[in-house]
Amino acid sequence: MSIFTPTNQIRLTNVAVVRMKRAGKRFEIACYKNKVVGWRSGVEKDLDEVLQTHSVFVNVSKGQVAKKEDLISAFGTDDQTEICKQILTKGEVQVSDKERHTQLEQMFRDIATIVADKCVNPETKRPYTVILIERAMKDIHYSVKTNKSTKQQALEVIKQLKEKMKIERAHMRLRFILPVNEGKKLKEKLKPLIKVIESEDYGQQLEIVCLIDPGCFREIDELIKKETKGKGSLEALNLKDVEEGDEKFE
Amino acid sequence: MVLNSLDKMIHLQKNTANIRNICVLAHVDHGKTTLTDCLISSNGIISSRLAGKLRYMDSREDEQIRGITMKSSAISLHYATGNEEYLINLIDSPGHVDFSSEVSTAVRICDGCIIVVDAVEGVCPQTQAVLRQAWLENIRPVLVINKIDRLIVELKFTPQEAYSHLKNILEQINALTGTLFTSKVLEERAERETESQVNPHSEQGEQVYDWSTGLEDTDDSQLYFSPEQGNVVFTSAIDGWGFGIEHFARIYSQKIGIKKEVLMKTLWGDYCINMKAKKIMKGDQAKGKKPLFVQLILENIWSLYDAVLKKDKDKIDKIVTSLGLKIGAREARHSDPKVQINAICSQWLPISHAVLAMVCQKLPSPLDITAERVERLMCTGSQTFDSLPPETQALKAAFMKCGSEETAPVIIFVSKMFAVDAKALPQNKPRPLTQEEIAQRHERARQRHAEKLAAAQGQAPLEPTQDGSALETCPKGEEPRGDEQQVESMTSKPVLQEEDNQESFIAFARVFSGVARRGKKIFVLGPKYSPLEFLRRVPLGFSAPPDGLPPVPHMAYCALENLYLLMGRELEYLEEVPPGNVLGIGGLQDFVLKSATLCSLPSCPPFIPLNFEATPIVRVAVEPKHPSEMPQLVKGMKLLNQADPCVQILIQETGEHVLVTAGEVHLQRCLDDLKERFAKIHISVSEPIIPFRETITKPPKVDMVNEEIGKQQKVAVIHQMKEDQNKIPEGIQVDSVGLITITTPNKLATLSVRAMPLPEEVTQILEENSDLIRSMEQLTSSLNEGENTQVIHQKIQEKIWEFKGKLEQHLTGRRWRNIVDQIWSFGPRKCGPNILVNKSEDFQNSIWTGPAAKASKEASRYRDLGNSIVSGFQLATLSGPMCEEPLMGVCFILEKWDLSKFEEQGASDLAKEGQEENETCSGGNESQELQDGCSEAFEKRTSHKGESPLTDCYGPISGQLIATMKEACRYALQVKPQRLMAAMYTCEIMATSDVLGRVYAVLSKREGRVLQEEMKEGTDMFIIKAVLPVAESFGFADEIRKRTSGLASPQLVFSHWEIIPSDPFWVPTTEEEYLHFGEKADSENQARKYMNAVRKRKGLYVEEKIVEHAEKQRTLSKNK
Repeated sequence: MSIFTPTNQIRLTNVAVVRMKRAGKRFEIACYKNKVVGWRSGVEKDLDEVLQTHSVFVNVSKGQVAKKEDLISAFGTDDQTEICKQILTKGEVQVSDKERHTQLEQMFRDIATIVADKCVNPETKRPYTVILIERAMKDIHYSVKTNKSTKQQALEVIKQLKEKMKIERAHMRLRFILPVNEGKKLKEKLKPLIKVIESEDYGQQLEIVCLIDPGCFREIDELIKKETKGKGSLEALNLKDVEEGDEKFE
Repeated sequence: MVLNSLDKMIHLQKNTANIRNICVLAHVDHGKTTLTDCLISSNGIISSRLAGKLRYMDSREDEQIRGITMKSSAISLHYATGNEEYLINLIDSPGHVDFSSEVSTAVRICDGCIIVVDAVEGVCPQTQAVLRQAWLENIRPVLVINKIDRLIVELKFTPQEAYSHLKNILEQINALTGTLFTSKVLEERAERETESQVNPHSEQGEQVYDWSTGLEDTDDSQLYFSPEQGNVVFTSAIDGWGFGIEHFARIYSQKIGIKKEVLMKTLWGDYCINMKAKKIMKGDQAKGKKPLFVQLILENIWSLYDAVLKKDKDKIDKIVTSLGLKIGAREARHSDPKVQINAICSQWLPISHAVLAMVCQKLPSPLDITAERVERLMCTGSQTFDSLPPETQALKAAFMKCGSEETAPVIIFVSKMFAVDAKALPQNKPRPLTQEEIAQRHERARQRHAEKLAAAQGQAPLEPTQDGSALETCPKGEEPRGDEQQVESMTSKPVLQEEDNQESFIAFARVFSGVARRGKKIFVLGPKYSPLEFLRRVPLGFSAPPDGLPPVPHMAYCALENLYLLMGRELEYLEEVPPGNVLGIGGLQDFVLKSATLCSLPSCPPFIPLNFEATPIVRVAVEPKHPSEMPQLVKGMKLLNQADPCVQILIQETGEHVLVTAGEVHLQRCLDDLKERFAKIHISVSEPIIPFRETITKPPKVDMVNEEIGKQQKVAVIHQMKEDQNKIPEGIQVDSVGLITITTPNKLATLSVRAMPLPEEVTQILEENSDLIRSMEQLTSSLNEGENTQVIHQKIQEKIWEFKGKLEQHLTGRRWRNIVDQIWSFGPRKCGPNILVNKSEDFQNSIWTGPAAKASKEASRYRDLGNSIVSGFQLATLSGPMCEEPLMGVCFILEKWDLSKFEEQGASDLAKEGQEENETCSGGNESQELQDGCSEAFEKRTSHKGESPLTDCYGPISGQLIATMKEACRYALQVKPQRLMAAMYTCEIMATSDVLGRVYAVLSKREGRVLQEEMKEGTDMFIIKAVLPVAESFGFADEIRKRTSGLASPQLVFSHWEIIPSDPFWVPTTEEEYLHFGEKADSENQARKYMNAVRKRKGLYVEEKIVEHAEKQRTLSKNK
């Protein structure tokens, strides 16, 4: 018979609860805040830095410890530490403030890096820096969605940024080689998709070097394939048309 | 306000013999600007009461606030002595190290300089620097020892002490001059020796025995500063007095009756006077006799200060009457002793007289320009004067003559461009007030007055020049003038508003020969112009109108639009400027960037570039606060680049706009200028992005505590070892030598890839030949297309073989056998310092073979799939696994590629699908790229390709190959010991021997490594060569200057990439390491620090704990 007296009562503060349902029962463990994600990613290796106590609970806030029989029936063992590890890796986590914050910040940076990587200033054909993009993203009040991939979000950001500043996807340089007889017809169809035609060469075959928006690549690819029935070909000369090298003002 | 009217100035400008172009040079805070103030006040431009407080030449707001000069600016002064009238073009220069470029611009257009030294502080680092600059430009210096009053008031020296202190300072300076002189003589001698080695017949006998340094033969007595030669003046600019010993020699020769010449020789030095005998004797300090200087000069001044400070009214009156001075009642009654001293001394020993008299006597006029200096100016780099074309050599005479005849060629040197608010220009002054100008009304009121004078001068001759040649010069000057007539008219306002925002550039220049006239057409020769080039392009004796000349690089032809007399912050209109004068030229901003030579003859060589003591080293990246303001920023930076002689501006490949300045103060000024004048936008400043490279090394033989690894067993750090294994996901086999075998998601193709570090030399060769590799790439790609239009150039072909030979030479040994022949591609971007090697048996498509081997169908099919593999390699090399930076010096070896399953499956459809497949592959590169970028298109692709047997749910085979190859390369890297490579600067530091230790301390703190240290011959300067990671270079220049009190100044140049030896993923594993570093090894790991910084910046996952100690988090109470 245990008596609840202040001396044998351990109060836990700053608890982050990790829950798991197993064999129809709910098990909980008490962890420190901001640590569970670190454990899962392998950065934190010391279990004592993660767990507040090694005991497995049914309800942490009420302080109800799980019964031994339940543990054995659910986990097949009564080793509390082992069970804690299992719950830690597989249970539902309550993401803490700092963890969420770093995650959002990381994604934000990642998006900005992707945008900076894909885009150029159309006037100078030079990329914008990541810091500038980050600032622009803050200006348009872009909020990161954790459930979408950063790449998807980056494309969205580009669309939104276009309204605010001079930014464009870096063009892709392509070369088409088309049979002459179909070439002319096809060229008309391709025209709306092409940004700039750099050179045209009518020889035995029609050869066009042009710049396109990378988003249109697939359409162009399909169009050529369909129209020429496999006789035309296209080749990417340059994935990103960007000024290279440093420029010095003189 | 201006007592000496413009008329007088113009008149004086014509008398070349009486012009002195001088500049004031000194260490920061030694009183250049105060001295200049005193000299200006002698001309009545500012009140003598304000002299020293106003700092008239510091016209910028930040100059006044910070109390330091930041730019050199000129003013023309008039000085009359006896019946000679002189025009002195005085240039005030900044003393701060960061602005030593401004000093260079000033020194170039002067003939002499005043070196100011603080009597208390003595010789300081910048004093050395400016002396050196003056020396290099071959201009003659005179010395002003300033702030003598501090010796009396602050240090409370006795006259005797002060004398020995002054003597010390003089000795220091002369020692400096001496070292400059000896180093020059030694240099000349070294030159002579090399020459004599070339033609050994000349003076052979003499050379053999000549072990002396040649110092003895060269006369150096003229060089040194000494009061008896009259090139030293003692002053106190703040109290407005100064004297040379000549002044006292004159007084005492009357009083005592000793000849002035004798006194001149003996007033300074170890002489004493026997008053009774009226004889001057060689003094002996030991006898306790006072030297003449103390007895006759210093004691008088001391007693005056004493009297005034003690407020001894009677004594003051006595002194004043004995000196025959009149002191105004107001000054006499003034309670502040400073005011009294100022009033008495400035009458007794007027500073302007002492200094200007010395300037006029001791410094050369433009006519006295030495042949040596002319030759130096005209010979760029290693050229000698004799090698110049004869037309050019002929110009030397014009230089020497400095003639003002019509026939004399006009030669003008522009040493810098400075920006002036368009409204400060004389022609724009009277205009309706705009809102922001109201604050400046006070200043403008004064300018108005000047304008009236200028208009009276400028208006009349303006009209006749309008016809003919000067036609295009006028509209700009005319328009605002029109407004003057209809001052308040509303219609003209928008036009003016526009002009308001414009910065007008004025060239800071000097006429070396001929007369500069408004509207005169002249050649503008850039620093890189070569007269030889011109003479080659243009037939001799051309007579065609100069406009019709063929274009010559770095040369332009334009008219002198506006000429100005520079009067500090004001400008006065001039019609013409005779030779030997300093002037401002407007309207050159489109032709001159920073400096240029203007000449009426194209055969003139450009003057040698200004030699800057400080090269720009402080780098920052600048960005607009609002991204949409980018164009303004770029425009502003272009203007800044023109306005500042020492700033560098780069746009980097990353899109950063980098501003490189000489120091922190200079940086601050540049930023202020950008914000307020040139760009007029908010900007933010950050450290520029530091590039890194990733590479791999051979596995180490010793651990971190230098114990051999093989001998000791690993301590069981089980989970850490596991961790390493976990990096490689399942489905990939790794063997013991790091061979990665990986299969595409559709299980049809298998690749085996291994990564090996390239020897350092090979990486270097690849770096050097990137252009060649690129052209090779272009060649093969055009040949692949089947166009044989481009015939391989013989030279290129030779170069390629040479390149191949070099590679073979360095890639020797068992492991590298035949590898050069199997090189498939370089990367990233097909020309980088990484190699892809194909070791499979049927490989025949190496970069060396060119188009020959691609005839068979088999080969072409391989080529198409091969393209995907090469693209995979390119992607892998573009961003490495550590922090997505490009790779460097890595060789990927494709040991096997098994496409058998794929071929089996494809064989049946091959015949009809051959063409199609072809396409898929060539397009595949990008489709994969796009999948990486945007998953949106993925499904589309597969659905449309659904009918093709070659594709399945994993997308086209080519795309899969790219991804697989990329993965394979990454894993192959990860199983090897990875290292970061840091960009390194070579750093050259000049330092005196006493600060050497501190230089080393700063270097080692910043992970620098000293390569070499040697003493400069003839001086006590050491030259230290070191390398320093770019990442550590921010604030380096500033720190080293601070730690060495400015005695060492570094110069940084990018040199190479270097592997950082520490392993970014290192954790202690062996027992020894455990003992040494502990379990966590929290001692800082340089490579990891860099890697994590980059990863954080890019938003990549960083292996860092969000919270280090769980228990130490803030405990939140229940109700917060």
